[in-house]
Amino acid sequence: MLLPFIFVLLLVGGAVLAAQSSINGRLGAKTGVIESAWLTFVMGAVLIFLLVFFFEPTHQATLFSVPKWQLTGALFGVVYMLTIVFAVPRVGTAAATVAVISGQLLMSLLIDHFGWLANAVRPLDGSRYLAMALLIGAIGLIYLSHQQRQRRLINQPS
Amino acid sequence: MKHALILLGVLVAGMGLSVEAGLLGPLGEQVGHLSATLSIFLVGALLLSLALVFSPSPKLATLFRQPRWLLIGGILGPIYVIVLTLAAPLVGIGMTMVGILCGQVGASLVIDHFGWLGSERRKVDGYRVGALVMILAALWLM
Repeated sequence: MLLPFIFVLLLVGGAVLAAQSSINGRLGAKTGVIESAWLTFVMGAVLIFLLVFFFEPTHQATLFSVPKWQLTGALFGVVYMLTIVFAVPRVGTAAATVAVISGQLLMSLLIDHFGWLANAVRPLDGSRYLAMALLIGAIGLIYLSHQQRQRRLINQPS
Repeated sequence: MKHALILLGVLVAGMGLSVEAGLLGPLGEQVGHLSATLSIFLVGALLLSLALVFSPSPKLATLFRQPRWLLIGGILGPIYVIVLTLAAPLVGIGMTMVGILCGQVGASLVIDHFGWLGSERRKVDGYRVGALVMILAALWLM
């Protein structure tokens, strides 16, 4: 019952990410890498602070009481945002997306397999290996589509 | 060669994104999903504010001369992180990332096809549809 709902949520999350990297890449090219990333994080912080202030139920642990290493996620987010804003105008959205996706998959399967960072262990089995092969195939297809488009552009300059 | 280096950097940044997801899930369970998300954006905003103050040629003023819709990237980010913190503990990082991936590729197809968000218009081709189908199959397997 819950699963289809989560899946729809995940789809929306991914769609939003695609829209965000194309908008931010464009903004970064027009202003600057740090400026674009800064605006994204400041607006995000303002919005989420309002949500926490009014809607977050009280928890026993707070951000100030959990072990500090659990707070390091932000560093990865900042590096990602800066890299995307820098890379999209230089290598193109398609190539950047393919690279991000490869990195994400590789690391997420490792995290699940070994249960790193206090996550539940979900070992790699036959069907997950097959899924991984399919994903690599999908990334290959996106790359091919990009290549073919480049060739068309060279053959018919507009 | 320079492109390959940039792409390698983007790949590492993508790995970092999964680490972020892996950290956010358990953190959200303890302090609440919204607070966990706030920690990401607050720390990011503060670090980048410092970077902005010391950046060689600050172009902050140009930001507000852009069309307003170019500035909504910051509204989209929180949506993504909230989804991440809610889903990761329930279905695992792998499944979470594949779902996100599915939406990402699907949306990029639609954005390109209709030329939305100021991107140049590109018709959907067989390769991209094939990629989407393979991702759906992988999702079903995981």
